Amino acid sequence: MFTATIFLPLLGAIIAGFFGNRLGNRFAQLVSVLPMLASAVFSCVILFWVGFQGQSQTIHLFTWIDVGTLEISWALRFDTLTAVMVFVVTVVSAMVHVYSIGYMAQDPHIPRFMAYLSLFTFFMLALVTADNFVQMFFGWEGVGLCSYLLIGFWFQRPSANAAAIKAFIVNRIGDFGFMLGIFGVFYAFGSLDFDTVFDAVPGVAGQSFNFLGMNVDIVTTLCLLLFIGAMGKSAQIGLHTWLPDAMEGPTPVSALIHAATMVTAGVFMVVRLSPMYEFAPIALTVIVFVGASTAFFAATIGLTQWDIKRVIAYSTCSQLGYMFFAVGVGAYPAAIFHLMTHAFFKALLFLGSGSVIHGMHDEQDMRRMGGLFPKMKVTAALMWIGSLSLAGVPLFAGFYSKDIILESAFAAHTGMGLYAYWLGIAVALMTAFYSWRLLFLTFHGKTRADDQTFDEVHESPPVIIAPLLVLALGAIFSGWLAVEYFVGDQMKEFWGGSILMLNNVIEEAHHVPDWVVWLPTGMAAIGIAAAWVMYMAMPGLPKQLATAIRPVYRFVFRKWYFDELYDMIFVRPSFYLGHGLWKSGDGDVIDGVGPDGIAAATRNIAGRVGRMQSGYLYHYAFAMLIGIVGFATWFLFGFFQ
Amino acid sequence: MNLTADLMIASPELFVAIAAMFLLIFGVFQGNQSTRLVSWLGVGVMFIAAILVLAGPVGRVVAFNDLFVVDGFANFAKILLLLGAALTLILAVPFNAREGIPQFEYPVLILFAVLGMMMMVSANDLISLYLGIELQSLSLYVLAAIRRDAVRSTEAGLKYFVLGALSSGILLYGMTLVYGFAGSTGFDDLAAVFAESAGDGAPIGVIVGLVFIIAGLAFKVSAVPFHMWTPDVYEGAPTPITAFFAVAPKIAAMALFVRVMLEPFGDLFDQWQQVIWFISLASMILGSFAAINQTNIKRLMAYSSISNMGFVLVGLAAGNETGVQGVLLYLTIYLFMNVGTFACILAMRRQGRMVEDIDQLAGLSRTNPKMALALAIFMFSMAGIPPLAGFFGKLYVFLAAIEAELYTLAVIGLLTSVVGAFYYLRIVKLMYFDDPLDAFDQPVGREISTIVFGTSVVTALFAIIILVFPLLDSAANAAATLFAV
Amino acid sequence: MDQLLLEYLPILIFLGLAIGLSAVMIGASFVVGPNRPDVEKNSPYECGFEPFDDARMKFDVRFYLVAILFIIFDLEVAFLFPWAITLGDIGVFGFWSMVVFLAILTVGFVYEWRKGALEWE
Repeated sequence: MFTATIFLPLLGAIIAGFFGNRLGNRFAQLVSVLPMLASAVFSCVILFWVGFQGQSQTIHLFTWIDVGTLEISWALRFDTLTAVMVFVVTVVSAMVHVYSIGYMAQDPHIPRFMAYLSLFTFFMLALVTADNFVQMFFGWEGVGLCSYLLIGFWFQRPSANAAAIKAFIVNRIGDFGFMLGIFGVFYAFGSLDFDTVFDAVPGVAGQSFNFLGMNVDIVTTLCLLLFIGAMGKSAQIGLHTWLPDAMEGPTPVSALIHAATMVTAGVFMVVRLSPMYEFAPIALTVIVFVGASTAFFAATIGLTQWDIKRVIAYSTCSQLGYMFFAVGVGAYPAAIFHLMTHAFFKALLFLGSGSVIHGMHDEQDMRRMGGLFPKMKVTAALMWIGSLSLAGVPLFAGFYSKDIILESAFAAHTGMGLYAYWLGIAVALMTAFYSWRLLFLTFHGKTRADDQTFDEVHESPPVIIAPLLVLALGAIFSGWLAVEYFVGDQMKEFWGGSILMLNNVIEEAHHVPDWVVWLPTGMAAIGIAAAWVMYMAMPGLPKQLATAIRPVYRFVFRKWYFDELYDMIFVRPSFYLGHGLWKSGDGDVIDGVGPDGIAAATRNIAGRVGRMQSGYLYHYAFAMLIGIVGFATWFLFGFFQ
Repeated sequence: MNLTADLMIASPELFVAIAAMFLLIFGVFQGNQSTRLVSWLGVGVMFIAAILVLAGPVGRVVAFNDLFVVDGFANFAKILLLLGAALTLILAVPFNAREGIPQFEYPVLILFAVLGMMMMVSANDLISLYLGIELQSLSLYVLAAIRRDAVRSTEAGLKYFVLGALSSGILLYGMTLVYGFAGSTGFDDLAAVFAESAGDGAPIGVIVGLVFIIAGLAFKVSAVPFHMWTPDVYEGAPTPITAFFAVAPKIAAMALFVRVMLEPFGDLFDQWQQVIWFISLASMILGSFAAINQTNIKRLMAYSSISNMGFVLVGLAAGNETGVQGVLLYLTIYLFMNVGTFACILAMRRQGRMVEDIDQLAGLSRTNPKMALALAIFMFSMAGIPPLAGFFGKLYVFLAAIEAELYTLAVIGLLTSVVGAFYYLRIVKLMYFDDPLDAFDQPVGREISTIVFGTSVVTALFAIIILVFPLLDSAANAAATLFAV
Repeated sequence: MDQLLLEYLPILIFLGLAIGLSAVMIGASFVVGPNRPDVEKNSPYECGFEPFDDARMKFDVRFYLVAILFIIFDLEVAFLFPWAITLGDIGVFGFWSMVVFLAILTVGFVYEWRKGALEWE
């Protein structure tokens, strides 16, 4: 069952991908959805056995690479951490699969889409069940590939292609760090197996080695390198630019890959490697800083965007920042907790926005929405649930996970922890604000859509709504169902040995002052109220405000000028350099001397040889005799030497 | 002396000889309308001869006072050349009927040539070697000129005859020198003499004689610089004859070449290796480069066979068992590729006329996709693209060269095969990417399509064939018999 | 070295004799031979050749064919003479060998006959 859970999606992908075109759309949907649903059911069983019965296990499949001292096996590692991740991935993925049947019904390439989705799920599962760095890297690259394919799924659109390439390249930068990290691990520990490496970490903590000509601490360096990989995949500040553009992909893709699963792979990786990170306090500090900054920065941008999906995308970016600073202060279970709840409510929000887009005939701009509530009540209600959870309103899932993160940050009692806490509070405010801004602009008030569009707005079919309902259940209940096990009293037994925590920041987090506990909730309330004031009560206010603080507004609206900056610093010089190398370097020098030159010389020789064939008998005979004389002479001289 | 035993050992040759004479008489009484029947009877004769070869003695036996030898090596080569001759004869049947070559002598001459070749590969004496070569050559001269009223055909025959006579003279002169200085013409005796004097080097006369013998044999395998006849004869001779020329005589001559070099002159390896090295290298280079500018596909195939012979000679230059195994394997593969390619060339007819221009193949993939696919397989195989057959041939000879530390030869050989790939792939490009011309005549005929299909399957699936059939082992065993003496 | 050369002395003598003898014969025919041409002697031969003409001229390919056939059977007879002389020594094997040889020649003879190579027209 454990193995089947992982490989069923692959099976579905292969069948749908290779035979889908011949056997029809309906067939492709069936062969990808059914294994996925089976996988999701299995994952619940797995979570029960591994998480609540403590039956961790590692399933050895086969030896993959065996070269010299490097020995790598394919093994499925099922501990609680993996079980939680498998659960989240398969459930969300199954819902997205079902949703896609309805959402993509009009698309001409259904089998391809379903195959990519299933393939992505397989890679994601390979990533989370990895037992060594290489297998993890396999899944890591696999999800990157699928992300690329799915962002560029509508390959007729230039913007989709550009976004796909951007996502791929930015991820590549992160992957480069990740690969260096893996090489470094092998160099330092002589093995890439998690268990072997984890056992050896305490022994080398504090030692240093030579990296790029500098003597640096081994574990810290490796952790930072690996974290660069996580930054790329999880769209942290600096390497975040691909995520908003990735919204060019179909909405189910955004929900599955760019909200619930793949982007959280970075968080998962750091948590998985907690036995390494725990011995690298400097790296953890960096993570806190990056995570908190990302959370804040992305939230500010989210305040100003008009594209419904982009708002949610920046929100995702911001929530990932939450998870990272939770990791950074050592509250790994809190990070995974938030990862799970976030997967539910963010997938819900994305799929809900997809439902809106579907109902509005591919309209994404919130300035042309509004007042949709009477037309799509179910969708609106579900979006409300997702937003309530996201904003951390009590009793909803996000409340539990977000609170424990902020409390942990406060309880860490470090400067960086407080930095994270206060930024986190600000983010909570902004999160509530932009979430309700979204809700008000979309569902309430007077419509800004033209009459014809508005008349045609309709509720989505059941196949789209049903998965949303399942996710909504998760967004409501997953918090209080899981809080005891994830971060509460049952924490130690639940996680078993899958996470190493040297400090007890989570216990301390339960004993922080009351104002620390209630401040985020209060902030959420203020944010909601502010959104109501600005977008319902006094609709003119936002414009005035934007004009009043115009420079700040522009700065934020243009996403802190990251894209422009990168374009100027990296992209354009690369283009110039590439163009120069291509024209003069490759074209003139290498082609001119190499292939073209040799080809020209070859033709020249061929012409000469051809002319030797004169057709005259005596020439031929002469050549033979010359040959004999030549050989005889050569022989005689060779002979006398 | 046991005459019966001797006759048994030579039974395939005797059978072919008697059958050929019988067919000659039969044909001359029946007239030219019997050509088709005689051709198929000829194919049958070769088939039975092949069975007799397979049923022959195991291990090395000599007959007729050591003039004649039968061993695994000879048998392997005989099977190959019989197969090649039979396939090309089958190809010739529809061609001759259509193109006005009514002579029933055609299959009879092929049989005599085959008889000569079988004697060549079984020769164990310079005299029997010469007899075999002459019987083969005289038949081939006539075959090249068999279309008496076509200028190009007679020109081809005459050129072949004059140059062939010259090479025979050179060969004979070399043999007399060797005989004069070593005192024998028997291979076994010569080997013994050279083994004895191995320490202090062979007499200069023997060396010069050896050079002449090599030159004579190099002419038969059309190795540079004794190759000049090849393009003209290939182009001028009727196409089935060219196919025959490209296959059977090459196999026989190469087998003979290998035996002469390794058995009687095996102890002079250090002396002759450098000559073989040079002609191998020169053949590969010239064959590859000269083919680039050709427009006539038969001429192209002539240069292709020159460079292929260069590759085969790499195996001989290595002079070890792997090398001989590589030679046999290469010849086997070469047989299938060439017969198949020529079968395709024979199918290049438009409004009842043969076309031989390479450009006429343009767009063949659309007018005749099956033939285009088959021809593409042959071309890719000749270019040495794995996993097609041609790759394995090159692989084994170059392995042998590496084993013998002939690195320069191996590297240059590989480079020339890259140049060679250019003109092979040009044909593929023409067929698949250029605008189609008028379709060739359909249908191409049962004989041709069957042979194209069979050879292309063998070429494409060679990797599987060597797994299923013990071809590698039998080639290795055949090679080992040469070194067992 | 002298010994080696000495072995070739008979050849040298033969060579000298041959040259001398032929020179004497040709010279003698010039000196003592009667030279009385008449119409009959100057007219073309029955086969159609001019008696005094450039030797490098075209002639009917049939002459060539006849010449080749003649050579073959001439050689056959040349083989038969020593065979006949030594028949007592080489025995049955020798006898049958020649019979096989003759049989093969006969095959060729039948072929050329049927092909009409022996008919002038």
